[in-house]
Amino acid sequence: MCLTQLFLQNEAAYACVAELGELGLVQFRDLNPDVSAFQRKYVKEVRRCDEMERKLRFLEKEIKKDSIPMLDTYENPEAPQPREMFDLEATFEKLENELREVNQNEEMLKKNFAELTELKHILRKTQQFFEENEGERQALDSLAMEDAPSHHDGTKLIAEREGQPKPHLKFVAGVIQRERLPAFERLLWRACRGNVFLRQSEITEPLTDASTGAPVNKAVFIIFFQGDQLKTRVKKICEGFRATLYPCPDTPQERREMSIGVMTRIEDLKTVLGQTQDHRHRVLVAAAKNVRMWMTKVRKIKAIYHVLNFFNLDVTQKCLIAECWCPVTELDRIQLALKRGSEESGSTVPSILNRMDTSEAPPTYNKSNKFTQGFQNIVDSYGIAAYREINPAPYTMITFPFLFAIMFGDLGHGTIMLLAGLFLVLQEKRLEAARIKDEIFQMFFTGRYMIFLMGCFSVYTGFIYNDAFSKSFNLFGSSWGNIFPFPLDEKAREQAITNLGGLEASPMLIPEKAYSGEPYPIGVDPIWVLAEANKLNFLNSMKMKAAILVGIAQMTFGIILGYHNFKYFNSKLDILYTFIPQIIFLSCIFIYLCLQVIMKWIAYDAAGGYSVLGYFYPSSNCAPSLLIGLINMFMMKSRDDGFVDGNKYCNTSIPPGKPGGCNMVGLCHLNNWYPGQSFFETIFLLTAIACVPVMLFAKPYILWKEEKQRQLSGHTQLVQV
Amino acid sequence: MGEFFFNIDHGYLEGLIRGFKSGLLTTTDYANLVQCETLEDLKLHVQSTDYGNFLANEPGNITVQVIDERLKEKLVTEFTHLRNNSLEPLSTFLDYITYSYMIDNIILLITGTLHQRPINELISKCHPLGSFEQMEAIHIANTPAELYNAVLVDTPLAPYFVDCINEQDLDEMNVEIIRNTLYKAYIEDFYKFCEKLGGKTAEVMCEILAFEADRRAIIITINSFDTELAKDDRQKLYPTCGKLYPEGLNGLARADDYDQVKQVCEYYAEYKALFEGSGVNPGEKTLEDKFFEYEVKLNVQAYLHQFHFGVFYAFIKLKEQEMRNIIWIAECIAQRHRSKIENYIPIV
Repeated sequence: MCLTQLFLQNEAAYACVAELGELGLVQFRDLNPDVSAFQRKYVKEVRRCDEMERKLRFLEKEIKKDSIPMLDTYENPEAPQPREMFDLEATFEKLENELREVNQNEEMLKKNFAELTELKHILRKTQQFFEENEGERQALDSLAMEDAPSHHDGTKLIAEREGQPKPHLKFVAGVIQRERLPAFERLLWRACRGNVFLRQSEITEPLTDASTGAPVNKAVFIIFFQGDQLKTRVKKICEGFRATLYPCPDTPQERREMSIGVMTRIEDLKTVLGQTQDHRHRVLVAAAKNVRMWMTKVRKIKAIYHVLNFFNLDVTQKCLIAECWCPVTELDRIQLALKRGSEESGSTVPSILNRMDTSEAPPTYNKSNKFTQGFQNIVDSYGIAAYREINPAPYTMITFPFLFAIMFGDLGHGTIMLLAGLFLVLQEKRLEAARIKDEIFQMFFTGRYMIFLMGCFSVYTGFIYNDAFSKSFNLFGSSWGNIFPFPLDEKAREQAITNLGGLEASPMLIPEKAYSGEPYPIGVDPIWVLAEANKLNFLNSMKMKAAILVGIAQMTFGIILGYHNFKYFNSKLDILYTFIPQIIFLSCIFIYLCLQVIMKWIAYDAAGGYSVLGYFYPSSNCAPSLLIGLINMFMMKSRDDGFVDGNKYCNTSIPPGKPGGCNMVGLCHLNNWYPGQSFFETIFLLTAIACVPVMLFAKPYILWKEEKQRQLSGHTQLVQV
Repeated sequence: MGEFFFNIDHGYLEGLIRGFKSGLLTTTDYANLVQCETLEDLKLHVQSTDYGNFLANEPGNITVQVIDERLKEKLVTEFTHLRNNSLEPLSTFLDYITYSYMIDNIILLITGTLHQRPINELISKCHPLGSFEQMEAIHIANTPAELYNAVLVDTPLAPYFVDCINEQDLDEMNVEIIRNTLYKAYIEDFYKFCEKLGGKTAEVMCEILAFEADRRAIIITINSFDTELAKDDRQKLYPTCGKLYPEGLNGLARADDYDQVKQVCEYYAEYKALFEGSGVNPGEKTLEDKFFEYEVKLNVQAYLHQFHFGVFYAFIKLKEQEMRNIIWIAECIAQRHRSKIENYIPIV
């Protein structure tokens, strides 16, 4: 990377930045960090873009409301010339105004429509109220005439108080939102002291709210009362609860006539509404074809002006000065883009690209392609390497899927994964074009090559583990034979088993007898699937050991990469106090463990009966135990030579079978496996522990001391001056 | 002890509120805002803060009113989220915060109806945090008793209102008395509630509420000079949970002019400083502004403690102050009255 200065002619700057933007290879620096956003040079243009974006968002919202599909051509329109902005602005302005007008009309019509529908419901429901009440009321009236006390409802009470034989009741009818009804009723009762009578009935179908278009549940109510004072009060309450009141005629004939009138008006309105909606739909469909492209264009303009705001004006006011980071290898392409930009704008003076020397640390630029991108993303999520540090992504491409496969390790599942990855890779172009927005899918899609590789390696490890959907293949023929005679008649078999030491005593394939001596050519012997008791014991231990080896190798490799970084930056401090203690720590504990694993694999076989490193190794069930060895190492336990048989020590010098000797049948392990093991292990452990404070504190302490030294010497220099 | 289990119920919301608080405008933001030439500039700058593009979808030229509405909308969204996710006793605590806005809304509606303003216009001016179901029906009431019986009896404010039922009419003076009586009852009740909660909440909130009570007492006294409010009526309006209670309030009750109020407050170190720094001359800050500054200080201090509810109250108050500041700056810009643009209350 290098820092470059660009001198762009005022008129060419826009085109040049547009070209550079398409190239995507430079990173501009903000040269006016102290100037606030609204005081910059091109703030007006940015604002215009904001306005255009707002209009486009409005359009998009309306289009989505009508669920019209938005055409996406996937083409990448070039950044429009600044003068095109006026055209775009005018287009959007026109569209927006048109749409707003249509919306207004529609809203008004819808409001009318909603009102009429409500009125329709009122007329229908009130009709019911009156009908069912008519008989009751007549009965009540006659009762009142006879002066019989009754407490059935409000109308009756009023009738009594007023002392009129035939009470003249008034009523209002209206519609209210259903959830407000209980509070409305309560307040009505309280405010009018129980002197009103309310009947209500729910409108079963939800009506649409005119302004938001959301469905609302409403209820029809009718309130009976007497006197004008109550009327104003009731009306006020209705207003307070946003209930809409509608005129409702007194007589049934009038109501019926009105009802018919309302129905015809509703029909008329429906036609007009349909036409308005058609018009709106046409406008939106036309807009939907272009809206995506417009959005891209506007965003490009905005981005260009945003970048131009980073630039400085030179003293003559004739050209803009920009500073940017760009990769050295791509300088030619950048030059070319600048030239194209200048030519396009018809500028006579070419744009100048000037390399600058700087002491600043450049930004990291990792070149990547569609294959490496996914891996680079994973590495970057842990932290981006500093400029010129080794980029671990290329190594990750192999190690990451491989480590995954060691854990996954199943040929069958691996194949499924491989096929899924392969599908994504092969259908790459089509899937990309489909622009599936789903986040989960995007995650899989960007990691398609990773999934593919993980699948490949899983197939491989699955093959090594001899594991396909938890079943094994016997490809080359197992090297273990059946030692139990079968089939024989019951008695003979029993006899044979007793000869072998008894099936109950050791229901296993005794290595000395069952093993052919030639290992299975590659991978795990399929016989292990049959081992019910110790299948997991064996496989887990084998996989665990393999995982440790690969894992520690990966860690060591990482530390060595770090060493190369330190060497490149010539940082002695880091090598001495970071790399060396790290590698010592790692080797004292983990690499040592790895060596033990390998050693155990190589030196101890199934048969036994020979000496390894001076210690007698009787049989396969008495190999040294790595786990207990590691625990003993950390506990710094003193150990005698010999075996641990069950829980007790036994001496190797006494031959097995004799008293004090070992019988070595059950779990037994070799205590020490080379001379002086306790001594070496103690030293390893102490060295590792000693490394911890060095790793933690050494570097900061030395830096701190140096800083202090520098300050001191600075002061002394001042004193000397 | 409550602190140990605080995070089980309220940890999420406390984390959230501290995040909200750190999104408040900083001094540099204010320094940038006052440099704005037009409201468009203001919009552009506010976009780069925590407010984000809350104004981005406004068509045409924005006005101060639109800014105000959007600000309130944002506050309400945040508050509703807090309220919906809160558990007892925090939810009651948050409800208490809304009561003060409810009182303001009621008074606004009553005064509005007194002046024959249409109810819809009044409703739009109400603070959305304090809206309640029966609010819009307030104008049916002609007397306080009616107001109580018909409208307020179902609201949580009902117990506060019992004291003012005796007032005869709803005229301007009585409305003011109702407001102050309601406030007095509210603050005292809130104070008691916080005391009951105990712990750090009580420690922090009682300090803030005591100041609020004293501020009201002082402001009532100063505003009552040259009005027909009798001295013993005035004394009844003082909230009694402040630091001025009881001697200071007695002193205030006897005060006849500004100097006597000042004299009474001389005995209280916090208030003495406020009176000394204030004045009406140009270049000096008004007493009201001084009070606001002190309130901001108390609210910011609430964030120095952890595991208590004071932060929620403090956030709402700080946010309110910030909204006042933004509106002040916006008004100054809109009315081209730049000389006073610096008179906002910085939140530090």
